[in-house]
Amino acid sequence: MITQEKYRSKAKKLLAEGSVKMVIGYSPGSTPDRRRPVFIRSFDEADQLVLDSNCIANLSGYLVSEGLLSDEKHVAIFLRPDGIRSINILAAESQLNVDQIIIFGFDTNGNEVRALTGEHAGEFSEFIGSIKEHPPEKSRDPLLYQIEQMNPQERFAFWKDEFSRCIKCYACRQACPMCYCRRCIVDSNQPQWINTSSHTLGNFEWNVVRAFHLAGRCVGCGNCDRACPVNIPLRLINSRMAEEVLDSFDHFAGLNPAQEPVLASFKKDDSETFIL
Amino acid sequence: MAKIGVFICHCGENIASKVDCTKLAAAIGEHPGVAVSVEYKYFCSEPGQESVKKAIRDNNLTGVIIAACSPRMHEATFRKVCAEAGLNPYLCEIANIREQCSWVHTDKEMATEKAMDITRSMIEKVKRNNKLQPIEVPVTRRALVIGGGIAGIQAALDIANAGQEVVLVEREPSLGGHMSQLSETFPTLDCSQCIMTPRMVEAAQHPKIRLLTYAEVEHVDGFIGNFKVKIRMKSRYVDINTCTGCGDCMTKCPVKKISSEFDCGLGKRTAIYTPFAQSVPNIPVIDKASCIYFKNGKCKTCMKSCQINAINFDLQDEFIDLDVGAIVVATGFQVQNTAGYGEYGYGKYPDVITGLQFERLATASGPTSGKILRPSDGKEPETVVFIQCAGSRDPSKGVHYCSKICCMYTAKHAMLYAHKVHHGKTHIFYMDIRAGGKGYDEFTRRAIEEDDASYVRGRVSKVWLENGKLMVRGVDTLLGRPVTIAADMVVLATAMVPQPNAKEFAKTIGIAYDEYGYYNEAHLKLRPVESSTAGVFLAGACQSPKDIPDSVAQASASASKVLALFSKEKLEREPVVATTNEATCAGCWGCVLACPYNAIEQKDILDRSGRIIKRVASVNPGLCQGCGTCVTFCRSNSIDLAGFTDKQIFAEVMAL
Repeated sequence: MITQEKYRSKAKKLLAEGSVKMVIGYSPGSTPDRRRPVFIRSFDEADQLVLDSNCIANLSGYLVSEGLLSDEKHVAIFLRPDGIRSINILAAESQLNVDQIIIFGFDTNGNEVRALTGEHAGEFSEFIGSIKEHPPEKSRDPLLYQIEQMNPQERFAFWKDEFSRCIKCYACRQACPMCYCRRCIVDSNQPQWINTSSHTLGNFEWNVVRAFHLAGRCVGCGNCDRACPVNIPLRLINSRMAEEVLDSFDHFAGLNPAQEPVLASFKKDDSETFIL
Repeated sequence: MAKIGVFICHCGENIASKVDCTKLAAAIGEHPGVAVSVEYKYFCSEPGQESVKKAIRDNNLTGVIIAACSPRMHEATFRKVCAEAGLNPYLCEIANIREQCSWVHTDKEMATEKAMDITRSMIEKVKRNNKLQPIEVPVTRRALVIGGGIAGIQAALDIANAGQEVVLVEREPSLGGHMSQLSETFPTLDCSQCIMTPRMVEAAQHPKIRLLTYAEVEHVDGFIGNFKVKIRMKSRYVDINTCTGCGDCMTKCPVKKISSEFDCGLGKRTAIYTPFAQSVPNIPVIDKASCIYFKNGKCKTCMKSCQINAINFDLQDEFIDLDVGAIVVATGFQVQNTAGYGEYGYGKYPDVITGLQFERLATASGPTSGKILRPSDGKEPETVVFIQCAGSRDPSKGVHYCSKICCMYTAKHAMLYAHKVHHGKTHIFYMDIRAGGKGYDEFTRRAIEEDDASYVRGRVSKVWLENGKLMVRGVDTLLGRPVTIAADMVVLATAMVPQPNAKEFAKTIGIAYDEYGYYNEAHLKLRPVESSTAGVFLAGACQSPKDIPDSVAQASASASKVLALFSKEKLEREPVVATTNEATCAGCWGCVLACPYNAIEQKDILDRSGRIIKRVASVNPGLCQGCGTCVTFCRSNSIDLAGFTDKQIFAEVMAL
């Protein structure tokens, strides 16, 4: 509650003095434990802002909405650590200018909410570095261990079964802050590389291509997983991919705004285990 | 409506023995859009090519498939054939049914099936091919020659004498390279300096050659015909425009005991120096590391002695930016560090020297004025042992290859020694005598028969000092017994190795190198002077160990390649380049980072009032090499490669 009040009054102050044009945050949702994003443009609306342990969605994707930042005005946004990492990746991929973003950083532990020190993305680098070195305990999904124990046939069967529910609604794409392309590859039909029908091939093609496109970029915020209307455990694919990238290239996505995209950059000591 | 002609080549027996070409031609003839499907023994032959042309004209073909060998082999041939018949050359594709089919399969039936698949997939591709036009890029008619040894000088002179501009860059204070250090040269025994120095002067005075000595290439950008080069002019602390080369400064310099690099440590030089008396340009440099003024701020003796005030201790390195159209790399070699041969006592015993040091002893311009004297006591050696392959052909020391020149120069050393010290005795330990070359074998025979060089076939295991003599223990493998020779001097025929910074420098220019650091040619036999990068040519020992005639020949060959490039005002380049879709590009710049040729730039899309709407990636077709790296990287599929478009590749894959 203290943190919520602190950020509410900060939001009011910034909006009143005109130093930000908008605050992106959370407001009460349709059920007591749900929160929905809210876009506050004037200080008298700031009391709608809510901050508690139910505020789990990564809001950073809203920042790259067409034209939002093109007037070079500042925007404030509530972000958890994974959201701050997303901002760094978006900055590294030239999608936004971190100077325009005022971060209301927070983290949760059980029902506790605490504010993070810092206002601009660059000020959190050390903190994010400490997450890389000491990942929070029990952050790894137990299901991952189970899947790793499976042989390739079993694993294929597992995912075939999971993907069989996919209805190609692309909610995962819409919810993901990294899916900012103006035209997604799946919407390109000349030629139609990715089959859009909901059968095994189309389901695998879509989900595997999305996983590849997130390699070295996913921060594991879980937006896709929560958005999926048929409960496919998408986080498992992406977090496993993030582990691979960390192991292979020592790349922890979103460390700072100047980090080079791992798959587009080349270092002499990159491992080459995949080259025969 | 597509009218595709398919021409199935037997390649003699190469394809026909494993692929049923008649069955293939019949099956392909049934494929939608195929107007002609024929087989022939050799389509690359004159009648074969003519039949393709005739078929194109007679049937108004819209596309051609040659089902034959690898496109690496004959794609260019058949594209030319199509162009001659009036069909855009990029409407011709090769279906590789030799390397990728007949050569790797044994079952004829299955190989035939596979050949059908390969051919069908290329038919589907060619149906979607577009007519492409070559890209024209301008050529800057100025060549950069890197390295002022004999190879660099020769290349520069040949290009300049043909009327084209040359910039000749040399890292050392003077032109000359290794050849200027040599005494006499095999197989004619003419004096190296006598044939070298006139070339150096000619290069320096040539109106078409801009000579930059004591300079290094810092950075190379661009592509064939349009390189941008940054050159660092290292500060000499002597103004090259005013200095007359009188040499007063060198006589007055109080630091006189610096080991001379030019004399391989056998002579001494001052802190302000020219490498040798015939230096071109004859302008000294100050060796900052040895100069007293640079060490403790006092001295300036040279400055006081200079009557025209050419010395200025405040001079700084300068940078020159150049536009050049072609680059000749002639950076030469180094002598292997013999310290690895502890058993031969190099560095431990002063009278164990390298072949290059012997050259300095034997030359009239050397520290002993051409007298063969021992470095230890200045006495004339009575017995000299030469050890060949002291480094070369020795995998344990990292040099697997033959340095090529050592057999010849060792024979020459034995001769020169015999001519100067008549009662002297020479023993040469050798593995094989490799004297291939015009007049070379006769030369070594002369050393043995007329100048009494005693060749011992075997390796030396150890050299040690005993009673003032260097004891050389080796084996005579022809007689099958160990030999020990008491010598006054031992000369090691050390290996030629690449320049120590050869690999880093290759990266600066963007050319490939082998495991040792020698620069790779585009094709060992057919393109031996081209590097793997278009517009960059190789000359001399930077490519592989070479003697003077080979270096000069290759330098002239490089020059002729440069002149061929300069013979046209514009270059035609393959139109296989990437293009971006500005409407869908998300501007993540992954392609900009991924492009190995720096060919992708950021482009602003503006509205009517000049405000930026968005930034997108844009490919410079002059720089793009069509490798496709950007295409694979782009998440939104906003880049396409002409000749290998998404539609083409997709059709190709889906036909399988």
